[in-house]
Amino acid sequence: MSSTMPMQEYISPGHMACPGCGAVLAMRYILNVLGEKTVVVIPASCWSVIDGVFPYSAVRVPLFHTAFETAASVASGIKAGLDIQGDTETTVLAFAGDGATFDIGFQALSGAAERNEDFIYVCYDNEAYMNTGVQRSSATPYGAWTTTTPVRHPKDRPKKRILEIMAAHEIPYAATASIAYPDDLSAKVKKAKGIYGTKFLHIFSPCPTGWKSKSSQIIKIARLAVHTKVFPLYEVENGFTFHINMEPKNIPVREYLKLQGRFAHLSEEDIADIQRQVDEEWEHLLKRALY
Amino acid sequence: MGKQITFDKKEDLPLVTSSFESMAWNKTGDWRYLKPIFQDKTPPCNNSCPAGEDVQGYLYLAQKKKYKEAWNLIKEENPLPAVCGRACMHPCEDSCNRGEFDEPINISAIERFLADNAIKQGYILPPIKRKKKKEKIAIIGSGPAGLSCAYQLKRIGYQVTIFEALPALGGMLRIGIPDYRLPKDILEHEIDTILELGIQIQTKARIDKETIAKDMKDFHAIFIATGCHKSIRLGIAGGDSRSVISGLDFLKDIHFGKKVPLGKKVAVIGGGNTAIDTARLALRLGAKPFILYRRTPAEMPAIKSEVIQAENEGIEISYLTAPTRIISKGNRVTALECVKNRTGPPDSSGNKTLIEIKDSHFPIEVDNIISAIGEIPDISILPEEVDLENRLIVTDESLKTTMNGVFAGGDVKSPLRSIAHAIGSGKRAAIAIDRYLKAKTLEDVMDTIRIGDGPGLSMRSYLQRDDPSRRKTKQVVRYKDINIDYFEQKPRHAVKTLSIEERVSSKKEVHLGFPCETALQEAGRCFNCGVCNHCDNCYIFCSDLAVIKHKGKTRNTIDYDHCKGCGVCIEECPRDAMYMEREEK
Repeated sequence: MSSTMPMQEYISPGHMACPGCGAVLAMRYILNVLGEKTVVVIPASCWSVIDGVFPYSAVRVPLFHTAFETAASVASGIKAGLDIQGDTETTVLAFAGDGATFDIGFQALSGAAERNEDFIYVCYDNEAYMNTGVQRSSATPYGAWTTTTPVRHPKDRPKKRILEIMAAHEIPYAATASIAYPDDLSAKVKKAKGIYGTKFLHIFSPCPTGWKSKSSQIIKIARLAVHTKVFPLYEVENGFTFHINMEPKNIPVREYLKLQGRFAHLSEEDIADIQRQVDEEWEHLLKRALY
Repeated sequence: MGKQITFDKKEDLPLVTSSFESMAWNKTGDWRYLKPIFQDKTPPCNNSCPAGEDVQGYLYLAQKKKYKEAWNLIKEENPLPAVCGRACMHPCEDSCNRGEFDEPINISAIERFLADNAIKQGYILPPIKRKKKKEKIAIIGSGPAGLSCAYQLKRIGYQVTIFEALPALGGMLRIGIPDYRLPKDILEHEIDTILELGIQIQTKARIDKETIAKDMKDFHAIFIATGCHKSIRLGIAGGDSRSVISGLDFLKDIHFGKKVPLGKKVAVIGGGNTAIDTARLALRLGAKPFILYRRTPAEMPAIKSEVIQAENEGIEISYLTAPTRIISKGNRVTALECVKNRTGPPDSSGNKTLIEIKDSHFPIEVDNIISAIGEIPDISILPEEVDLENRLIVTDESLKTTMNGVFAGGDVKSPLRSIAHAIGSGKRAAIAIDRYLKAKTLEDVMDTIRIGDGPGLSMRSYLQRDDPSRRKTKQVVRYKDINIDYFEQKPRHAVKTLSIEERVSSKKEVHLGFPCETALQEAGRCFNCGVCNHCDNCYIFCSDLAVIKHKGKTRNTIDYDHCKGCGVCIEECPRDAMYMEREEK
């Protein structure tokens, strides 16, 4: 494959991520598009660690570490500060995990989106609180093991449909993206950069540590998530216009599940159940995309 | 970048925690217990080419529209790409990994395009830069083995003389393959490019044991590549009849413009390429030929696609049918009595045994019988010192015969009779002769020059014209090693063929070859198995930013100070041009 992604890098090697970290790739692809004129806001998350410790930073643009629930409000504030300085060039990027987005920072995010604050909010989704030791979040999928949903009681609620929730704020742009498809991801970042208002990107970022998968297979898993319809690539403009960006190859969900230890306990029935849920959600999405 | 900072005094500390340096000082390479390594491996096409062509290499160059470089690359290993692009049985395509994905690459058509394009554009080979050597070598026979050996010896720097019994060079390529499959101007062009290197030729120079002993004293080595030009006689009643024509003689006579009187009903006996070619040539001369083959279609040694073309042209093939008796009236053949066979259990050689079906004899009315049941070498010309086994010359791995300084290759030595095998053995002999004259062994260099675990040797590696750091390992990349997520199914491009009417009314070439655009698209289907083509997946998907890109064509390298050894690069390499090694701690 030859990528259209810009190759100017803004992350230094030596960062503190685990081998095979999807969250690093998410940040890397985004910064490669946004470039030097970017301010990053990071709430408590894996990335608080990945970036390194004082007096170092693995990211070569200004980056602000902040409290768990405050990514969207700090980003709003930084944007206001830039406005006062008359800086219209710099992009503000809030970069939060699923915990800080789906759960703890949701109030601030919902408020900022309702006000249509002008920044890009990225949720890199590794489907649990990985940094603190793999606790369940509302992004953890149905059936998955975490340290707080042990094998005897795996998660029995579906993953929150965050993109639709964000789209329901009628923000100008909300999209899913995957580290397995950097060109699609880059195109969406580029598009978001050119739009005024709150842009929400939901990026699928496998975590070999928390998913009990091989570190070498994160891209394969992310690709399978798209093609099993577990994580479809789509975008929503102005709250109502849905576009599906990549036609899934319709691979059985089992192929995706079997590469991850967090699903190893699932019975055939459980897998069939997950397949049914995935199919239903896909039908639901299709209806919206055709609407 | 990446230096560590220390604050000696409290006052030096900044007012707020702030970063001043990157994390590059942090050598995360220490975390690694598996080490990814860039390493090209052997593509299956290269591995299966008896002529030792770098098939993947020229397909890659063709993808980049570097048609001249692609042609040059073939020519390093094989002086006859226009011939092979037409008449080779292309084992490369049988082993092509793409065959398990959709359909194999049409390698032969691309090879032919590159060779024809070179003729059209008037490309010439780069001049030989090696020093001229004083040693003289005699090549007996100018078929593909002799030509290949002469060409490679000349490239090494030797003085070469070819002795050919017939009036023109080419051996079986000239007399055994009709024009509709290999036009003679194409053959002559390729032979000319070989001779232009400065090779002496003597045609109509039939060699025998006396001339070898007397006239070849001046030569430092001799390569015998006299081929198989004697037809096996039909061992049935009436088989010695003068009215039974040998297939090879028929092809030869037609080539040299002799008139061969043919009736309408021509029975061709045999299942090899000579049989198919004979029948198809007879068809073009106005006869109604048909083929009788005693075994099953699966056992037929002829090139499959040529058999299909023969059938398309309306030539009927009767399988499991063996002739038993020729019925003549005076000097004229009138009928052929045949018997039907059925197959029994396989014999020790793996061939199914044939069992005659009782009382299944039947006569076929015929005007002519052409026997093409096989060819054998003419061993009467060989000196006694040259040992034989099963009428073939015995040699060691380096093609050295039992007679000092005499080497042998091609059909006179090997039961594997194909153009590619002959070209490969000519090259092997050239290398072996060079080793012999330097008082060294072929074995010493085999590890460097052998392609994968296959039959071919690389002249490019032998002459050290390749980049030693990019030499491929012997491991052959298989379909399971390919990351097919990076490829889309695309059907193989077929070559267009002449209409049946046009074929029968002329001697024109049946296959029309690829136009440039089609060749480019077809080359684009190649997976480039095992060889880095700079797709940059390793770079794009590295979360440690530890893959370093370099300007130009140099391949990426790995920053082992920071690579944590996650293995994503290896998993996402579409073509398995990497491997993982356990880290020694």
